[in-house]
Amino acid sequence: MAKTPKPRKLKQDLMKGGTIAVGGIEGPTTVVTTPEGVRLGFRTASFGTRLGALLIDLMIMIAIPIVLVLVYFLLPLEHVNLDMAPDHPFRQLVNILIILTLFFARSGYFMFFEMGPRAATPGKRVMKIRVISHDGGHLTPAAVITRNALREVELFLPLTLSFQAMAGGGWLGLVAFLWALGLALLPLFNKAKARLGDFLGGTRVVHVPREALSFDLVEQAAVSSWLQFTPEQVAAYGEKELTVLEEVLRERRASTLQAVASRIKARIDWKGPKAEADMPSDESFLRAYYAALRAHLEGRMLMGRRRKDKFDPAT
Amino acid sequence: MSDTPPLQLKSQKFRDTREKEWRALARQIDRAEKGQIGSFTTEELLELPVLYRATVSSLSMAQSISLDRNLITYLQALCGRAYVYMYGAHARPLQVLKDFFLRRLPQSFRALGIEMWLSFACFFLGAVGGWLMCAFDPSWYNALVGHSAQGRDTSATAEDLRKTLGGAEKEQLGTFSVYLMSNNTRVTLMAFAVGVIGGVPTAFVLLYNGMMLGAMMWLFASKGLGFDFAAWLSIHGTTEMLAIIIGGGAGFHLARRLMFPGHLTRKAALSTAGRTAGTVMLGAMLMLIIAGVIEGVGRQTITDMGLRFAFGGVMLVWWLTYYGLFGRDRKGAGDGQNP
Repeated sequence: MAKTPKPRKLKQDLMKGGTIAVGGIEGPTTVVTTPEGVRLGFRTASFGTRLGALLIDLMIMIAIPIVLVLVYFLLPLEHVNLDMAPDHPFRQLVNILIILTLFFARSGYFMFFEMGPRAATPGKRVMKIRVISHDGGHLTPAAVITRNALREVELFLPLTLSFQAMAGGGWLGLVAFLWALGLALLPLFNKAKARLGDFLGGTRVVHVPREALSFDLVEQAAVSSWLQFTPEQVAAYGEKELTVLEEVLRERRASTLQAVASRIKARIDWKGPKAEADMPSDESFLRAYYAALRAHLEGRMLMGRRRKDKFDPAT
Repeated sequence: MSDTPPLQLKSQKFRDTREKEWRALARQIDRAEKGQIGSFTTEELLELPVLYRATVSSLSMAQSISLDRNLITYLQALCGRAYVYMYGAHARPLQVLKDFFLRRLPQSFRALGIEMWLSFACFFLGAVGGWLMCAFDPSWYNALVGHSAQGRDTSATAEDLRKTLGGAEKEQLGTFSVYLMSNNTRVTLMAFAVGVIGGVPTAFVLLYNGMMLGAMMWLFASKGLGFDFAAWLSIHGTTEMLAIIIGGGAGFHLARRLMFPGHLTRKAALSTAGRTAGTVMLGAMLMLIIAGVIEGVGRQTITDMGLRFAFGGVMLVWWLTYYGLFGRDRKGAGDGQNP
């Protein structure tokens, strides 16, 4: 009977391995399995981020007609038009262009940009978020159309209704407004932070940040006889602490380095050199310990025994 | 372990051998995201998917052998960007277009058969209702059509009305037809989108637009211009109304799957319904654009009543043939309906 918990534990560990694989991301994640069979983890875009992107897009949409009017007045078009009858072909052409532009601003803006190579509107691009397909496959044009057609219900309808409610639309207007508001605020109430259009189109909005590849910290670890650690000393910490240590080393703030170094020294009971001149700096001590700890943990990892943190039993 | 310096970890060697590929992919994605895919050489184009797969496999490898968090975050971000680019919705070559128009669109339409009939019934009932309401009390006309009458009101004489149907009128028809097209597209989108709040609003949108049509029919018929109006309308109207009906049908489909998700969860049912309905909607929007073009060109050039009916009829038959017959599998078993 004593053995039964063990396989279960192992299974749990494997599953932990799975979540660690998409880990390293704070906050809620959206995991998709790509057609290549790899699980990619994305940080789900928060409601605030999406609202920000939307506001930027709305401002652009409002700016389009304003710019048009400005162009109309800045160019000497008005003088040209004054001499024309209203059915003059040129006048008609201008009118058609204006209607088409307004139509694009209202109905086509989101679809046009989300079908483009970056799968994002300018507002989304500023906020570094993108639209992806929830099932990991291609983002289809149909999905983009669906998710954006529903903006009529989620965005434009509440706006219209709220204007009506303000103008004294009666209790029916108010009820309709509350209903539409509930729909618009749907992303606040579900884990995937998806709005209605996302559910229907099978899409999600996620962060796609750019990250820089830094150097490998292990490569610069100092080698000296004082900076060799016994297996017991190395086994004091787990993966979580290794991550924190890496952050500290990349940040390189003297006060943090010193505090972390003295805590580690105390915990692993490290005996430094007697002579003050041989004493390694805090940074080189931490580098060396980082290298040793990573070698130890990666060695275990290759054997399929991961150690989550220092509270995880070492064996 | 304490005797040898802990250099040359497996993860370090791994990084040494693969890093070049990651950097190459990052450079290519940078360029592709800027829309410079056109400037890629053939070799670079062929290389892109290879680099992508190599990097994705590096990521899964790194996740199981490396604990360098900077490396893993970098690979995740890079794979994420590459994935979003590789599987984005951007325009695909001819094959996808062919597949969409010859199979997916007509098949999705047929999968929504019942909803289409319901949508048609709403629109038709609206038209009949609009006619009857105006016939009993002409003051309904202004309430229904009012804002978009453009001179076609109850006080207009038969001569005025005939002018709006004529061939060489002075009205700004081109502009008006573009206005109508953008307005109709909005109506169609609306009929579709409000389906998600239960289907009743979709029915309302359809009924209302049907009523406007019925009221206009009544107006022209009451001045003895019924057939002329129908002919004038049929040129683009057969395409346009079918598109609105399709929009309504797509909206009803959403409502139905929301209320009766079947054996799926509501979320899953909605997302499959959204895809089918979205495909159909794409078709409807294309039809509206076509209708706009026909309206802009055809109305001024085709003036004979018989020709107008013939043109509108041909368009109707074409659309029904297209949606009814295209994309059926040879064996006759699958007619696009979901099992």
